[in-house]
Amino acid sequence: MKIDCHMHVQGNRSPWRMSDNDKIIEAADKLGIDKMCCSIPLTTPAPTPDEVRDCNDDVLDAMKQYPDRILGYCFLNPGYYREAIGEMKRCIGGEGMIGVKLYHQYFYSEPAVYPVVEQAIELNVPILGHAGHPTDAETRASQPRISDGVHFAQLAEKYPEAILIQAHIGGGGDWEWSIKALRRSPSVYLDTSGSVVDEGMIELAVRELGAERLLFGTDMTMEGGVGKILGANLTEEQRERIFHKNMSEILERR
Amino acid sequence: MTVDVNAYLGHWPFRPLHYNTADGLITLMDRNGIDRAVVSSIHGIFYKNSQTANEELIAEIAPHRDRLIPFATLNPMYVDWEEDLKRCRDLGMRGLRLFPVYHNYTLTDEESLHLIRQATEWGWSIAVPMRVVDIRQRHWMDVAEQVPMSDFEAVVRKCPETPFVFLNGIGFENSSFVKDESLKQARFMIGISRLTSVLTESIPKLLDALGPSKLVFGSGIPFKIPKPALLKIEILDADREVKERIYGGNAAELLGLQS
Repeated sequence: MKIDCHMHVQGNRSPWRMSDNDKIIEAADKLGIDKMCCSIPLTTPAPTPDEVRDCNDDVLDAMKQYPDRILGYCFLNPGYYREAIGEMKRCIGGEGMIGVKLYHQYFYSEPAVYPVVEQAIELNVPILGHAGHPTDAETRASQPRISDGVHFAQLAEKYPEAILIQAHIGGGGDWEWSIKALRRSPSVYLDTSGSVVDEGMIELAVRELGAERLLFGTDMTMEGGVGKILGANLTEEQRERIFHKNMSEILERR
Repeated sequence: MTVDVNAYLGHWPFRPLHYNTADGLITLMDRNGIDRAVVSSIHGIFYKNSQTANEELIAEIAPHRDRLIPFATLNPMYVDWEEDLKRCRDLGMRGLRLFPVYHNYTLTDEESLHLIRQATEWGWSIAVPMRVVDIRQRHWMDVAEQVPMSDFEAVVRKCPETPFVFLNGIGFENSSFVKDESLKQARFMIGISRLTSVLTESIPKLLDALGPSKLVFGSGIPFKIPKPALLKIEILDADREVKERIYGGNAAELLGLQS
């Protein structure tokens, strides 16, 4: 059993940069991925409520197309907080999405994010936040408000009851930084997705955070996402926890 | 036979590696069903005099010469590489692995071409990683950028008879290597560590464009875990014969290995 906690789908209204949804399912079948938790985020600095709604409508379409395989995250721009709360009620409360997806429009420690977090607590759903600690100037310049473990830790301190997922430990930034930053924030989960498949990365995360805080994900790097968990030095119980048990428990909290 | 054309030994200055001794590498290979590996010394990237690292490598792998195939690291801008190259041949090296960004030259510089052509005359392969680590996570003292695809294309145009092996690269399916008939005919191979079997499907696209003889399994151990690269071949929609070529058949031909 595998539940991918960090995946995306292709949309008709707001195309995401990947192949079509049938190919996603085909790839998941090859890799034994049973369910994928998907979103369509926008990477622009200030997406409008209409743009956000288009993204979420595309995810809802994919959920209807593959109801047994695709679960949806509701993407939000917290800057439009009234509309964001309304979108959460529509997509999560009304349409059955399983959580919130945030991108780099705000640091997660900024007050602009608080209303969304409070609503997620009320709905008892997770918030998956795009994250990383890029060390090269080009990536940092292109994502000036990307959050890392420090921002998650600050948010978790303010809202310890929130279910927070720091995205893609293998997303390209300094993963040692990201892991260490979360050591004292037990309520924050870490997803294992991303293209980086460095030896020792998963093992360090297990050693410092515990397997019960790791969630399997691919973020479109599907072979790498599965392979890094299969190939890591883990017990079978740890592997099961990461592949699906932890995420199942989060989903059951709704 | 599974041959990993993309393995390393030694220390990386910016994070600890495990399995980075000859014994450790063999352990990792055994655990993943890898029979043989082409290996170079990471120290050769950083020592001014890379030849010292080549000598270290030969001593380190001595008990495992049946499994580990040594490639030399040389800097064509460093004094008297010609003598070092001869000594590497005497030490039993089977090819070169070049790091032009770290050694501050481009592949088509005159001295670089001189080194490549000399090695080619001996039937050696020339492996060039597009990058060693993801630059988004590099250490603040690590100034390396990726080797541009255009540099790969340019050096193959200059040396079409040289058996290049390009490692840790992406973007080949959109490059001149699949569009330019003269380049397609050249003797190059592409390691699959960053390619894909699903979604973007770069491996199937390259198989369509270039046939089954151009792709080779290479994982990047011990920087990387080998399972993702192995999984790409496992789930690839291709005949068993094609998969066996990628697992090790193409590399065995290139290196003259007996199974």
